[in-house]
Amino acid sequence: MATGAWENSTNGFIMTMNDWQAMSLTLQLATLTVIILLALGTPLAWWLSQTRHRFKVVVETVTALPLVLPPTVLGFYLLVLLGAHGPLGGFWQSFTGAPLAFSFGGLVIASCLYSLPFVVQPLQNAFERLDRRAIEAAWTLGASPWWTFLTIILPQGRRGFLTAIVLGFAHTLGEFGVVLMVGGNIPGKTQVVSIAIYEHVESFNYTAANNLSLILLAFSFVVLFIVYAINRRWYSGVAA
Amino acid sequence: MSQLSVNVELQRNAFHFSVNCTIPKKGVTALLGPSGSGKSTLLRIIAGLEKPDRGLLSSDSHIWYDSQKKIMRGPQQRRVGLVFQEYALFGHMTVSANIGYGVHRSIRKALVRHWLQRLELQNYAHDYPAQLSGGQKQRVALARALAHEPDVLLLDEPFSAADPTLRVHLRQQLKAVVQSLNIPVVMVTHDLDDIHYLADHVGVIVRGELYEFGTLTDVFNNPTTRQAAQALGWQNFLAVQSISSDSVSGKWGRLKLDREISPDTDWLTIRPEHIRLTRQNSSSDSLEVSIVESIVNGAVRILYCRLPDGNCLVVHRPWDEPVPAAGETTHLYFPQAFLRALADAGQAHKPITASHENNNLTSRTTA
Repeated sequence: MATGAWENSTNGFIMTMNDWQAMSLTLQLATLTVIILLALGTPLAWWLSQTRHRFKVVVETVTALPLVLPPTVLGFYLLVLLGAHGPLGGFWQSFTGAPLAFSFGGLVIASCLYSLPFVVQPLQNAFERLDRRAIEAAWTLGASPWWTFLTIILPQGRRGFLTAIVLGFAHTLGEFGVVLMVGGNIPGKTQVVSIAIYEHVESFNYTAANNLSLILLAFSFVVLFIVYAINRRWYSGVAA
Repeated sequence: MSQLSVNVELQRNAFHFSVNCTIPKKGVTALLGPSGSGKSTLLRIIAGLEKPDRGLLSSDSHIWYDSQKKIMRGPQQRRVGLVFQEYALFGHMTVSANIGYGVHRSIRKALVRHWLQRLELQNYAHDYPAQLSGGQKQRVALARALAHEPDVLLLDEPFSAADPTLRVHLRQQLKAVVQSLNIPVVMVTHDLDDIHYLADHVGVIVRGELYEFGTLTDVFNNPTTRQAAQALGWQNFLAVQSISSDSVSGKWGRLKLDREISPDTDWLTIRPEHIRLTRQNSSSDSLEVSIVESIVNGAVRILYCRLPDGNCLVVHRPWDEPVPAAGETTHLYFPQAFLRALADAGQAHKPITASHENNNLTSRTTA
């Protein structure tokens, strides 16, 4: 049966409008997630790398939870939180009139939480490896904390930022369970590539599933290849 | 010219830090002390990288820290040039960019060119720190600190990353530069040669307290505590058990003194080059010892002599002076003028409050 479906659908590399929408939505979701996580994750990672606060271990544990939690568990609690009767979802609905669950906004929140450790941990590692004296030297030379971040911390921690961006982006691209729980499978609205592939397989449209999978595979390979190449250049370069 | 006044206290767990001194307006002030004594802490406090718990810190009329008025100027507001122990250069920037980092854009080009030329770095302007030798890195770090036109220059173990040959060369270069500066220069080091070569004034910090502070000659010749004396290179210490009006004694024997010494005295000390050898027991200003070892080091013969209590004294004599062989017994003569009485730091003696204006800085217990 499956073979028949495969044979019937080998009509070349054709993607439907839904597939393109899923692709576009996925890229939008991944880009937005990475931007938000960089904005929120950078100060969090900095705090974790510098503090000796007794709550540090608690914050570290909470941040790392998405690494070990089954996506369905995280998705379930997010659904409760973002649903019309949930604390965040209810507030959002009363404020905007629109539900947060099963919307793109809900997907972004879910993605940010799910990909949080993939951005925060590389940044934290990078910040912990920074030459503290170089930062202090910048301060004694009159640099403000913001200027020090731009001119010293960012360049010295660039490998950490690159890793965080790539991991955050790639992890969002591959999300399935959480996205399905929080966003459902609404084409053009919440259907991302991973869910579109699943749906194609469910309906035995293996060509379409293969087309989308190949694009994801090629994209992931190219991105990782570029990252490793850049990292290698930075590592061996004189400016490293 | 600016004068730096420091009177600060800081408590970090079991470590108590308390320093009160006025750093001279010109010349190099070296801070000496054992590892962990708080030398670098003082530099960090001056630079604004560490906040004291109490006190006052000012550069001329500018108050940098005042605990009573709750003033704490950050490092950005202090105009301090700090040369870190291992230079802390910005690895992703060229030499020129490093030097010009703290300089305003309008004068950056001219100042960078000036310091590149002054420290003979013109040929390395476009190189990155990873391409430089240790000596070149040190010059870049110095140029970066000075291009910022600081009110105070702080040097944290400036030669620690250099090998002995390079160290001599770097000292000469640094001396040429700092001699032309009209700002206080504070240098932290544990190397006595660095101090003898560069310093005009010396402070000895032991266990977070300033115990000696004054001119180079005064501090080196007249230490007041055993810990400070050790940091200053004194090697021979005789534990004092009882003191009378004309003598002191311990397990090692008894020595006559031509003056009274403080009842707080815990140790007698004398430099190795001031001890003489005598075959006769000249009453009570000499001690009987047995020679343990005799080593010739250049023009000096170093003798290790065992006292009756088992402790060793080090004696330096000219290499060609006849001395008894190892295992033989002889007498050591201690000229009164060179004997110093010391207390243990943190016990009977209180740390000093030092001021450059008052040259008689150390509360000596002996004449």
